[in-house]
Amino acid sequence: MPDLQSPPLPPPPRLLVVDDSELIHRLLKVRLQFERIEIETASSSEEALRRIKEFEPDVILMDIDLGVGDPMDGFEILSEIKSDSATRDIAVIFISGSTETMDRVRALELGAIDFIGKPFEVVELKARIRSALRVRSMVRILAQKARIDGLTGLWNRAYFDARMEEELNAAGRHGRPLSLILCDLDAFKVLNDKHGHPFGDEVLERFAQILGAGRSSDIACRYGGEEFALILPDTDREQALQAAERARWAIEGERWPEHSGLTVTASFGVSQYRVDLDQAMMVTAADQALYRAKELGRNRVEHAQPDLDERLIA
Amino acid sequence: MEPSRSRNPDQPVRSRYADDPTMSAIVARFAAALPERSNHLKKALLEANIEDLHSLAHQLKGTAGGYGFDSISSAAADLEMETMSLEADLAMVRERVEDITVLCTAASRD
Repeated sequence: MPDLQSPPLPPPPRLLVVDDSELIHRLLKVRLQFERIEIETASSSEEALRRIKEFEPDVILMDIDLGVGDPMDGFEILSEIKSDSATRDIAVIFISGSTETMDRVRALELGAIDFIGKPFEVVELKARIRSALRVRSMVRILAQKARIDGLTGLWNRAYFDARMEEELNAAGRHGRPLSLILCDLDAFKVLNDKHGHPFGDEVLERFAQILGAGRSSDIACRYGGEEFALILPDTDREQALQAAERARWAIEGERWPEHSGLTVTASFGVSQYRVDLDQAMMVTAADQALYRAKELGRNRVEHAQPDLDERLIA
Repeated sequence: MEPSRSRNPDQPVRSRYADDPTMSAIVARFAAALPERSNHLKKALLEANIEDLHSLAHQLKGTAGGYGFDSISSAAADLEMETMSLEADLAMVRERVEDITVLCTAASRD
């Protein structure tokens, strides 16, 4: 007879242990055997990166030093994890015998959620794993419910899609202008590779602040990666081009204390609502304009219909 | 824990988890392999290979502690400190390795 009292439990959270010592694998499996956690282990960076893709862990416990033969250390694996949108929300806890304060600082700066010293007390380890799992599930719930991008605090892509549809309908109904700006940081990958992901994140956050500092009716969204979108209700072509130009000017003029002399730029594509355009077409138009801005040398603003007669708009 | 660091070879060295039924099997296995690990240390000492000594001590500090051998872990931490620099004081290093050897032998006997 089915037990109606207890609903089925969700699948147990998954934990990946990355450590070159089999002794540590064995120890953790025994010490955590009564926790509701599924545990897998990896002994090298190559195995770790493969297991992360296959096993899709919620939490990773990772040593810094993976032995002399390994081409990567824990920090480099963490950078890989954080640079891929499919894995960047995994909670990574470092577990290391290192007593260097800078190792701890570096781990946290790169996006680790916690750092546990070796040898570890099992009660503490369990508590920290539970805490990491709690944070992980909170972030997931918040991202879904609030539709806010975790890094920049702007609206996320899902919100953008829903809001664009609403604004398009409103513009059509009331005959009001509506503009869209898509923009993308120039050579962001090079910047990331050269100065590291923590600095890349800082640039994304700063650019997001610039985009979010416009009029209160403007809707700034993170479109994905280093691409952002601004929905501008009640905004005509001229005003939209000005808004894009202001943001272009602001990011170019930004100074980066840790990298003196560095200039970060962005390219912008602008499109306008017309009765014969649906949402996808309006986004595509802005995207094509953005592409043209890149082609024409970056750090510039391009319009989707450069030669269009003003009378045809809205 | 400090008194167990004395070099009295008759003093037993037991894991905190020796009586934990879930742990006793892997603790016994770990303890049985301890003399081999102290042999690795002695070999590195003979070769005056400070780098190896440092990394072996670092590993032993982490694993021994995890398996409940706090005295071995703290002796290994001392050796790790002693071998921070490549110009380590070999006489001091030798003493630390001897400490660990005594503890490892005692732990494997228990």
